[in-house]
Amino acid sequence: MNKRVKRLALGAATAALVTMGSFAPAMADTVLKFISWQTDDAGTGEWWHSAIAEFEKQHPGVKIEFTKAERSSYADTMTTLFAANQPPQIVHLASFEFQMFADSGWLEPLDPWLRKDGIDMTGWAGQKTCEWNGETVCIMTNYFGFVMAYNKKIFDEAGIAVPKTYDEFLAAAKATTKDLNGDGIIDQFGTGHETKGGPGQYLTEMLNYIIDAGAYWTDKEGNITIDTPEMVEGLTRWKTVMKSGVSPVDMSASDVRKLFADGKMAMRLDGPWLYGTTEKGSAKSDIVYVAPPLTPPLGGSSNVLAMPSDIPDDQKQLVWDFIKLTMTAEFQRSYATMGGNTPPSPKADVSGVEKTIPHFPVLLATMKAASEKGIDRVPIGLELYYNEFSKMIMEESQRMIIQDLDPAAVAKTMQAKAESIKG
Amino acid sequence: MRRTLAQSLALYATVIFTLVMILFPVYWLLVTALSTTDELYRLPPTFWPDDPQWDVFARVWAAKPILLWLWNSMLAAVGSVALSMLVSVSAGYALSRYSMRGGATMGLFVLTAKMLPATLLVIPLFSIFSSFGLIGSLWTLVLAHSTMIIPFATWMLKGYFDTIPKELEQAAMVDGCSPIGAMVRVVLPIATPGLAATALYAFVLSWADYAYARTFLVNSPDNWTANLGITTMQGEYVTYWNDIAAASVFIALPIIAIYLFLERYLVGGLTAGAEK
Amino acid sequence: MTDTVQAGRRKFFDLARPSRQHLLGYILIAPAVLMVAAIIVWPLILAIDLSFQQVKIPRLGGASRPFSVSNYVWLFSSQEFWLACWVTLKLVIVVTAGSVAVGLSTALLVNNRFEGRTVARLGMALPWAVPEIIAVVIFAWMFDTSFGLFGWLAIKLGFTGQMIPWVSSSTAAFWAVAITMVWKGFPFVSIMCLAGLQSIPSDYYAAAKVDGASSFQRFRWITMPLLMPVLGVTLVLTLLWVFRDFSIIKVLTGGGPLRSTQTLSIMTYDQAFQYHNFGRAAAVGVLTLVICIIASLLMLGRRSKSIY
Repeated sequence: MNKRVKRLALGAATAALVTMGSFAPAMADTVLKFISWQTDDAGTGEWWHSAIAEFEKQHPGVKIEFTKAERSSYADTMTTLFAANQPPQIVHLASFEFQMFADSGWLEPLDPWLRKDGIDMTGWAGQKTCEWNGETVCIMTNYFGFVMAYNKKIFDEAGIAVPKTYDEFLAAAKATTKDLNGDGIIDQFGTGHETKGGPGQYLTEMLNYIIDAGAYWTDKEGNITIDTPEMVEGLTRWKTVMKSGVSPVDMSASDVRKLFADGKMAMRLDGPWLYGTTEKGSAKSDIVYVAPPLTPPLGGSSNVLAMPSDIPDDQKQLVWDFIKLTMTAEFQRSYATMGGNTPPSPKADVSGVEKTIPHFPVLLATMKAASEKGIDRVPIGLELYYNEFSKMIMEESQRMIIQDLDPAAVAKTMQAKAESIKG
Repeated sequence: MRRTLAQSLALYATVIFTLVMILFPVYWLLVTALSTTDELYRLPPTFWPDDPQWDVFARVWAAKPILLWLWNSMLAAVGSVALSMLVSVSAGYALSRYSMRGGATMGLFVLTAKMLPATLLVIPLFSIFSSFGLIGSLWTLVLAHSTMIIPFATWMLKGYFDTIPKELEQAAMVDGCSPIGAMVRVVLPIATPGLAATALYAFVLSWADYAYARTFLVNSPDNWTANLGITTMQGEYVTYWNDIAAASVFIALPIIAIYLFLERYLVGGLTAGAEK
Repeated sequence: MTDTVQAGRRKFFDLARPSRQHLLGYILIAPAVLMVAAIIVWPLILAIDLSFQQVKIPRLGGASRPFSVSNYVWLFSSQEFWLACWVTLKLVIVVTAGSVAVGLSTALLVNNRFEGRTVARLGMALPWAVPEIIAVVIFAWMFDTSFGLFGWLAIKLGFTGQMIPWVSSSTAAFWAVAITMVWKGFPFVSIMCLAGLQSIPSDYYAAAKVDGASSFQRFRWITMPLLMPVLGVTLVLTLLWVFRDFSIIKVLTGGGPLRSTQTLSIMTYDQAFQYHNFGRAAAVGVLTLVICIIASLLMLGRRSKSIY
């Protein structure tokens, strides 16, 4: 028995050795690593794949290794890779998380590269966010505006019209929240907010109401502007919506979109990506996209491309070639036709996209509206502390809802805490 | 000991009730996999889907390289078992047979390994492994897992070796065996239950890891383990719970099978160690 | 394989000689010590070093910052740290007590002789083999506020009139975490206790029976005292696991709401990877380690020697 076990173990160990050896990365080609959370997103993922294929065609002998890292732990992964000095060559980050890397001096300033190729970034949506300490450290890949999708069937059954203001929105949500099978448990909701997706997402959901009330976290100079009557109104609305039961509680991003896509929710305020989910849902034919009743529409920069400052120059040139490729007219157009996104380039030709994505003009209009008002999710002056700030706002909002606190007092607390975070 | 009928019934009722409570979540995983998404988002919950979606397994198997992930998990686990057994058998044997200075403080040392949050270890470990060019290779997991396993495994084996009389090896050495020869030829065969228990412990620990795999292998999808692969099935915008549950079933099956096969040794292997 | 190594080595020292036996002991234990030193102790030293620097994201191999105790000053004066200590303490007590209660009773149950005992024994400890990441998937779904089974059951059983907000109520979130952790934690206690129970010679019970001891008395005066050494070690291992565990809480509640489930290990993670204060994170980690060492010493006391 023992002999056999030993021989087995030995054999297994040898097999393991051999196999692991064969898994060593191929060294023949130049390999650029590109980690992203969007690799298999419907639309956007395909667009990345098409850009990679084109790049590899133009650069024989160069391979891009496109790997997925899950979104919820994405920032941790990138932090570890950068801290250990092993960043991927093509850096893909969310627009609220690149600042820490830029501030540590790990992202290459792109101004010389842009100058060398004579690229004019005027009018490129959201590009201002990419300026850090006076230098361009990234290229904005996506800037979006929020839209509202509603379920026409539910609206018709309740006999209500599409809301145009916050009050109408709330009334519509109340009218469509129902217990359909009479077991005492609500199973159709007026709207839904993702409150389980972490602080950043929580703030995004709140912001819909806050911007409509005319408030924002900071002003253009970076002063904190939470303790204002407008913000109190915004917080009151958030509290009202969350307390009135029109939204299911503790929803993750996925759950809330799935519910809407399957016809168990009447309205959802969301970014362009909602389309990918509703197209696969069972209520697909009932869903209509319109401009959101809350104005200006929430918008924001979404994700950026950058390159690490510590890689060899020849690799930098290749990475820049890739970034440049995604910025060409051709790929800016296919970002809309294939990815269903609003391309940030002011010169992008998006004619005819509405043939495949009927609501594309709505996306474009809300993106422009948000962009013109300079709306973004990351408050100016708090970029480096965004995670800490958003966690604080989320906690104070939860406290307001759980302990039924007065929004005016909560705004004062938030203001004081935000100032101390900023230091 | 004879039980009355009533006592027997009560015993069986308790056993069955407890088993149902304990195993229910595992059953629920299967139900989740077999339900349509529409059924999942519905109350009252269905305790067995109206129309079980058996094809979910085929679909997930085709869509994701599950076999590759399982194979990698298997390699990492087998490697960890082999390395940690080699190291902890010698350490456990040394602690059992030779009275060494500092033996008592070793107790705390063992526990210290269980006290450090992985969060603190990952960045330093990443730099160690990357200076040896190991990042992205399964060796990182073998080394990291083994080190987490060794302290407790050493303790288990030391306890087991303590129950084997020293006289056996002394007799072998009188017959011309070297000390290590005596250990390999005489002690290890007797200690098979203890070795099997330790191996199972090591295997389960390695199979369960996610934190290290995520940190060291994120860049090399060819080497992803099952637990790492499954988390990448969560989308940013939408997650299909039934698909994830189906993949979870695939990942849980091998480890449950190994557990079912080796469990009999686990208690037996520990029993001897508990006699103190 | 070992034999050939040995043959080569014997030329240098004759390890069979009694005076060389200690040397052999040290050689045999060296690989274990080396591995633990490289993979646990060295990172630990780095962490201690980091905890005394004001550093946001460290770059390994880069220059280190000047010595500073500011991380510890911040820690001791922050409410957050003391709250995290309190939450950790509560969770450790609830989960350890729960795991021992369920683990010990299941072990006692399957220690009875009955038909099908092997199957029962396998089933009772099965959750141990289920990887945590999968356990969390199942429980997160069962604790879903809108469509979870547990909320629905609570209504059907009349505990509550509406679905329980598992993530946005402090009490509910704490119990969701605790229940999940007990399910994952008790099988190990059960396995260890069963091993302990099986090593108790049956003559003891027979003798006690002859003396007319009731089954409770036998449990109190034979089982418990003989089980204590195993139980002590198991208790400490479970406790350390609760201290360290991260993924269950992270996935179920993320430490919220209002930090009601934010343990020290979640705080370490947040400071490191969310706020990028690695210095502070290291300080929390180091203090956690100190607390763990004190707790294990107190619990094992003189018995800490019996581990070895």
